[in-house]
Amino acid sequence: MTTATPDTTTAALSVRGLRKTFAGRTVLDGIDLDVRAGELVAVLGANGSGKSTALRCVIGLERPDAGSVRLHGEETAGQAGRRPAAVSRRAAMVFQHIHLVPRRSALDNVCAGALGRLPLRRSLTPLLFPRELREEAMACLARVGLADRAGEAVARLSGGQQQRVAVARALCQRADVLLADEPVASLDPAATTQVLDLLGVLARDEGLAVAAVLHQPALARRHADRIVGLRGGGLVIDAPAGDVPASALDDLYSHGPGPEGTTP
Amino acid sequence: MTAPPLAAAPPRLRRPSVLAALTVVIVGAAHVLAWRGADVSPAALAEGWEGMRDFLGEAVPPDLSWSTVVRPGLDAALVTLYIGLLGTTLSVPFALVLAVLGARTTTPNAFVQQAARSVLSFLRAVPDVVFALIFVTAVGLGPFAGVLALVFHNTGVMGKLWSEAMEETDPGVREALRTNGASGVQVTSHAVLPAVLPQLAGLLLYRLDVNVRSSLVLGLVGAGGIGFLINQSIRLFRFDEMLTYILIVLALVIAVDQLSSAVRRRIGR
Ligand SMILES: Nc1ncnc2c1ncn2[C@@H]1O[C@H](COP(=O)(O)OP(=O)(O)OP(=O)(O)O)[C@@H](O)[C@H]1O
Ligand SMILES: [Mg+2]
Repeated sequence: MTTATPDTTTAALSVRGLRKTFAGRTVLDGIDLDVRAGELVAVLGANGSGKSTALRCVIGLERPDAGSVRLHGEETAGQAGRRPAAVSRRAAMVFQHIHLVPRRSALDNVCAGALGRLPLRRSLTPLLFPRELREEAMACLARVGLADRAGEAVARLSGGQQQRVAVARALCQRADVLLADEPVASLDPAATTQVLDLLGVLARDEGLAVAAVLHQPALARRHADRIVGLRGGGLVIDAPAGDVPASALDDLYSHGPGPEGTTP
Repeated sequence: MTAPPLAAAPPRLRRPSVLAALTVVIVGAAHVLAWRGADVSPAALAEGWEGMRDFLGEAVPPDLSWSTVVRPGLDAALVTLYIGLLGTTLSVPFALVLAVLGARTTTPNAFVQQAARSVLSFLRAVPDVVFALIFVTAVGLGPFAGVLALVFHNTGVMGKLWSEAMEETDPGVREALRTNGASGVQVTSHAVLPAVLPQLAGLLLYRLDVNVRSSLVLGLVGAGGIGFLINQSIRLFRFDEMLTYILIVLALVIAVDQLSSAVRRRIGR
């Protein structure tokens, strides 16, 4: 299991010069971002500013045009191929729309986080999952506070509980870098607090490096250690949560030309 | 009282375009040609009415003698049901493999995908009756030829339907598992199949319904079941016997249809 090993020399996730262009439109224009073990970084930015694209490039769902993505100092297969290699399995992602298999139990969904390290003969169906994996998955569910719901079909859980199952799946992947794309955008205030508290605990108490895209600056201030702001393809804010002036956050969402002159 | 509209409403009817007029002319001409080509003749129907009445007169009342007609009819209807059941069930593994290989979401290799789709198209294009005629020459008259015919044709149809269901699955779950490091086969078995399973089962039941009805027609070409008996009684001009068989068929088809749609409704919920 992951233990807190605060590493101050190399960031757990280190992005350098990340560029991504869609059909001639530059979405990311050289992003530099470090996320250290033990910190929760909130990624803010207006709609279409490239937050999801940045995360998808890191996790290997999009192929960046240029730049490097390093996990613990090791280059990932992000640029070379679509399928994340062993190194990039150290990073996991949770999504706004959760993307669990609704008809399967919470436990089976969490076990799926381990698919990347299981041979096919132990993973063709959930019936073949090894016992140790099921135990590890139970431990992951316990870390998100849902061990008592392990046998229940995911469709029967509330949105907030489902998002925590998705986090448990990421933990079962044994990831120590956790990316979250609007993890609370579909949740009510109580569930939002629960999920963001959980991300905070995973970062500060368990030493994960967590980057979460949020849409509410207030939540970022309350839960995050650091805030980064995306605008016009670049990072215009990168500071401890307490040091970011309100005006800077307002600028992030104001219409009108950004630094690169791009308008939505 | 009402505020003046900001802009005039568009006219109720737009002037018909040349294209629309041309379409009407072409479709009309096609129907004239079809009418002639198919020898449609209301006069022949009117003249033939006599023959129809004689035919019905001989058919009604149906011959309900138990040991010579009803019992053999029920036995044969059961065989028809068996042909439909086995024809459907035995095609499941083939349909599943070809559906997975042919779906964009489960098979990234375009060549494999195209090959699987071609096999499915071929099996779908050859009618089950043609398959039945082929297999009757191979394994002789009887229900087994009917089973084989259904397996081949149903693999084509059901494989295509299943493949389409797999292509419509949520890309999000697939992506999520891929970020977990899952391989293509793992994504298929943990994201695609669990999501489509109820749909596959529904389509399977629908096909069972269709296949029981087709196995009737297969009987007409010698592939066993009650269709075979119907064919015989027509050739012997025993129309009262035939009517009994048709009533039995009616009951069978309605029963299977009701059962299959009841189960499908349950799955759908
Ligand atoms: N696959 C794609 N093909 C083409 N354009 C894309 C693609 N993905 C994203 N884009 C474009 O890139 C830009 C950034 O999109 P992205 O989803 O990263 O923004 P975002 O910051 O996550 O926005 P939101 O707050 O709405 O989630 C948008 O203009 C979007 O249209
Ligand atoms: Mg987004």
